[in-house]
Amino acid sequence: MDLTHRLGLFPDCSVTLLLFNRVKNAAALRKKAMEGSIEGALINPAMIVDPFQILVAANKAVHLHKIGKMKTRSLYAEIIFSLSPNNNISDAFKKFGISDGDTAVLIVLVVDREKNVNLEDIASQVEGQQVSLDELPQLTDTAKVKKMYKVTPQEEEISTLLDSIVCRMSTKDVL
Amino acid sequence: GISAPVVYFVDYVTNSIYLEDIVDSITVQDHIYSVQRSGNDSSNLLTLAEKMGELLARMHDEDLIHGDLTTSNILIRPPTEKLDLVLIDFGLSFISGLPEDKGVDLYVLEKAFLSTHPDTEMMFKTLLKTYAATSKKSGPVIKKLDEVRLRGRK
Repeated sequence: MDLTHRLGLFPDCSVTLLLFNRVKNAAALRKKAMEGSIEGALINPAMIVDPFQILVAANKAVHLHKIGKMKTRSLYAEIIFSLSPNNNISDAFKKFGISDGDTAVLIVLVVDREKNVNLEDIASQVEGQQVSLDELPQLTDTAKVKKMYKVTPQEEEISTLLDSIVCRMSTKDVL
Repeated sequence: GISAPVVYFVDYVTNSIYLEDIVDSITVQDHIYSVQRSGNDSSNLLTLAEKMGELLARMHDEDLIHGDLTTSNILIRPPTEKLDLVLIDFGLSFISGLPEDKGVDLYVLEKAFLSTHPDTEMMFKTLLKTYAATSKKSGPVIKKLDEVRLRGRK
């Protein structure tokens, strides 16, 4: 039901994705996330086209965390920020984090090999149904994603949406 | 709108860039060798030349100069027959609208082409023809290319 991946560059780190639909307590979850009382990055699945997008963001966040150069205050905040194509932190939270009225939530966890994280514990805090990540494409708002990442029609002709997005995420520091 | 490997991650600490690996691709260089060695119908090579001309025209129209155009810096995605090209190795690239820079870019490719691949004059001619037909700014570029050729070296 969930998807766990080891990061190629940080083999001790594994990233787990949990997807929830029909969520009723998005507002409460968002509050918990801001307080830091829930483990994980709470992300709006409408902005995600593929789990790889999350892995790229997580990889960057973990890297910056390890060298002490994060732009935000926590690893999970950094993952959300890494998803954004621009360098405005609050905009990143608004667009990629969850909003009070959301009915779907994607929770991203990053775990070091030694640590043990209780997935049921986190899932139990969500008033909604945990669903398979296969359902992610149905929740993606492609138009919104294209607008956010400013994907041009010329790009779409020769590349996938995921590739366009990943490029923007990984090179935004240079632009 | 130019096909190139996706950038996955930039590490400013080690100054490394992690790029997409285009699995089972072959360079245009290897492809030309293999076609010529097998003695097969080379009209497919002319189609390849057209695709290359088109790709470079689009690149130059965006004012992107590759800087190191050779047949080993252009990959063909599998399946090879589709002639789906990918540009790689932008280590010497820069942005310029100058026909001179674009002309030199093409000249570098021409020299690389003719010195690496014998009997490919027709290929390069076809490449230039398609380039001129595709690029909106090709006139001055071809003119500069001719000038550079006369100068003999750059």
